[in-house]
Amino acid sequence: MKQYLIWLTALVAIVIVNFGLIPFLPPYYYSILIYSGVNIILAVSLNLVNGFTGQFSIGHAGFMSVGAYLSAYISIMITKDNPDLLANPVTANLIFLVSLIAGGAGSAIIGYFVGLPSLRLRGDYLAIVTLGFGEIIRVMILNIDAIGGARGFTGIPLLSNFLWVYIAVLFTLFFIWRLVNSAHGRTYLSVREDEIAAQSMGVNTTNAKVQAFVIGAFFAGIAGGLFAHFLLYLNPQTFDFNRSFEIIIMVVLGGAGSISGSVVAAIILTVIREALRPIQEITRIDFRMSIYSLFLIILMLNRPNGLFGTKEIFNFMSSKMRRLFLGKEDTAT
Amino acid sequence: MSELALNVSKLTMQFGGLKAVSDLDLQISKGSIFGLIGPNGAGKTTVFNMLTGVYQPTLGSIQIFGKSSVGFPPHKIMCFGVARTFQNIRLFKDLSVHKNLLISIDQNPARKKYSLLSSILRTSAYEADLRDKQREVKKLLKIFDLENREFELAKNLPYGDQRRLEILRAMATGAKLLLLDEPAAGLNPNETTKLMTTISHIRDEYGITILLIEHDMKLVMSICERIAVLDYGVKIAEGNAKEIQSNPKVIEAYLGKAKE
Ligand SMILES: Nc1ncnc2c1ncn2[C@@H]1O[C@H](COP(=O)(O)OP(=O)(O)OP(=O)(O)O)[C@@H](O)[C@H]1O
Ligand SMILES: [Mg+2]
Repeated sequence: MKQYLIWLTALVAIVIVNFGLIPFLPPYYYSILIYSGVNIILAVSLNLVNGFTGQFSIGHAGFMSVGAYLSAYISIMITKDNPDLLANPVTANLIFLVSLIAGGAGSAIIGYFVGLPSLRLRGDYLAIVTLGFGEIIRVMILNIDAIGGARGFTGIPLLSNFLWVYIAVLFTLFFIWRLVNSAHGRTYLSVREDEIAAQSMGVNTTNAKVQAFVIGAFFAGIAGGLFAHFLLYLNPQTFDFNRSFEIIIMVVLGGAGSISGSVVAAIILTVIREALRPIQEITRIDFRMSIYSLFLIILMLNRPNGLFGTKEIFNFMSSKMRRLFLGKEDTAT
Repeated sequence: MSELALNVSKLTMQFGGLKAVSDLDLQISKGSIFGLIGPNGAGKTTVFNMLTGVYQPTLGSIQIFGKSSVGFPPHKIMCFGVARTFQNIRLFKDLSVHKNLLISIDQNPARKKYSLLSSILRTSAYEADLRDKQREVKKLLKIFDLENREFELAKNLPYGDQRRLEILRAMATGAKLLLLDEPAAGLNPNETTKLMTTISHIRDEYGITILLIEHDMKLVMSICERIAVLDYGVKIAEGNAKEIQSNPKVIEAYLGKAKE
C-alpha cells in the first residue's frame, strides 16, 4: 500500500483542485493549465525515448497528431447520429476514454512501424526517419477529406477537462516512473549508456529501443486526444516541426533522463509561451522562438545538462522527505 | 566432450585483405584459468569479439559448454553462459554501481522474467524478486570489497575499481565462462597482485572458467594453467607457463629473431 501512497495523495489533490479551485479560475488561466498538462505528457513521454533510451526522436508532434485526429474521428463518429450520448455524462466520458485509448494505440502501432526499421541500426537514423515521419503524416492529414484536410477538423465534442487531463498526467508519470525503475527500464538505460556492453550483458537492444519508442508514441497519442477534445478544432499546421521542436526543448531544458525535470520544464515553457502572447499581439511579430532560443542558450551555458540533469526532484530533498515519496528501488541513477 | 567450457576449431576472421585470426584451435576445460597472450595487434581481442558474437567469424566453429554459438547475436550468446569485459572499459558510466550490476542480474537466464504489467504494478512476487536481486548486488560487491561504493556513479570510481566492477558485471549475468580482456591494464603492481588472488578465488569459489588476455607476464605465468600465444593471428604455441617461457617461437615473437 505504501508504494501507492504518493500517487493516491496526488489523485486526491487533483480531485480537490478540480472541485474547489477550477470553477473559479478565469478561462485564460484554465487553458494554460490544460496545455501545461498536455505538454507534461508530451515531454515526459519523449524523455523516455530521448533521455532514458538515448535515441534522438524529433517527430513527437507527429504521434501527437495521430492520437488527436484518430480520437477526434472516433468520438465524432460515435456521437454524430446520437447526440444524446454526449448529454449523459456517463456515456460521454466512456466515449472519451475509448477514443483516447484508441488514439494512443493507433499512435503506438504507427510508432512500431516507424521505429523498428530505424532502431535496428545504430546511429542517427531515427532522427532522420522521425523528421520525415512528422512531415509525411502532416501532408497525409492535409489530403484526407474525412478529417477536414487543409480546412481543419471541426465539430469535435468538448470532452476534455482539468480532471481528465491531470488524471492522464498522473497516470503517465506513474507508468513511466515505474517503467524506468524496472528491469525493462534498466535495459533502456543500458542502451543509452553503451549499446555494445548492453548486448554483451544479454540485453536485446533493438527490443529495448522499440519498446521505449512505442510506449513514448502511445502517450503522445493520448496527449493528442486530450488536446483535440479541448481545443475542438484541429489543423495540420498545429503539429508541424516547430511543435516537435518545442517538446524537445522541454526535455533538454528539464534534463534528459529526469522525469521531474520534464514536468517543470513543460510548465515553465507553457507559461512563458502564454505570457509572451500579449507582446506578440502588440508587435505583430512572433518573438517566441527567438526568446525560446535565447533562454535555451543561457541555460545550456549555465547548466549544460538541463535544469535537473539526470537527477529527480527527490534527489534534492532530505533523505527523510525522499523516503516518504520513493520505494527503496527508486534511484535516479 | 562435456568437460570443455570452450571448444574452438579453425576459427578465422578476415578483415578485407587482413587475416586477423587464422585457423585458431582452442580447447579450454571447465574450471581452468587460461591465458591468451601475444604482441599488440596479434588478434586477441578479435578472438573475444568472435566468441561473444560481436563479429561473425569468416570460418570455423565455436562451442560454448557443448553448444554451437556461431551465428547468434551477442545478447543470445550471453545465454550460453559466457560474459566478458572490455579492453577499453565499457561501464554504464552515468549509472550507479548498483544499477550497473542490476542490469546484468536482470538478464541472468536463470532468473524469472517479469512482464511489463507486473513491473508497473509491482506485484509482491516482483518486489520479492527485486529484493533478492539487491541482495545479490551486495554479495557481488563483497568479492572486491566495493560495498561502500554501491551508490556512486560508475564513472566516479578510481580506474582500478572500474576494472573490478566490469568483472563483477560480467559475473552478475550468471556466466560460467568469463572472458577478461586485459584486466590488469592500468593497475599498479599492488593492485595487480590483489587482482590475481581474486581471479583465482572467483574460479575456486564459483567454479567459473576464465579465459584472459593479458600483457602482464607475471600475472599470466602465475595464475594461468595453460597459455596460448597468438602472433599475427596464428597460434604459435600452447602449454603451461614453463613450456611457454622456454619456447623459442614465443621468444622470437616477443623479442624478434636473433641476428645470425
Ligand atoms: N573491425 C576491424 N576492422 C578491420 N581490422 C580490424 C578490426 N578489428 C581489429 N582489426 C585488426 O585486426 C588486428 C588484430 O586486432 P586485435 O584488436 O584483435 O589485436 P589485439 O591482439 O587485441 O591487440 P592489443 O594487444 O593491442 O589489444 C589488428 O591489425 C587490427 O587492426
Ligand atoms: Mg586487444
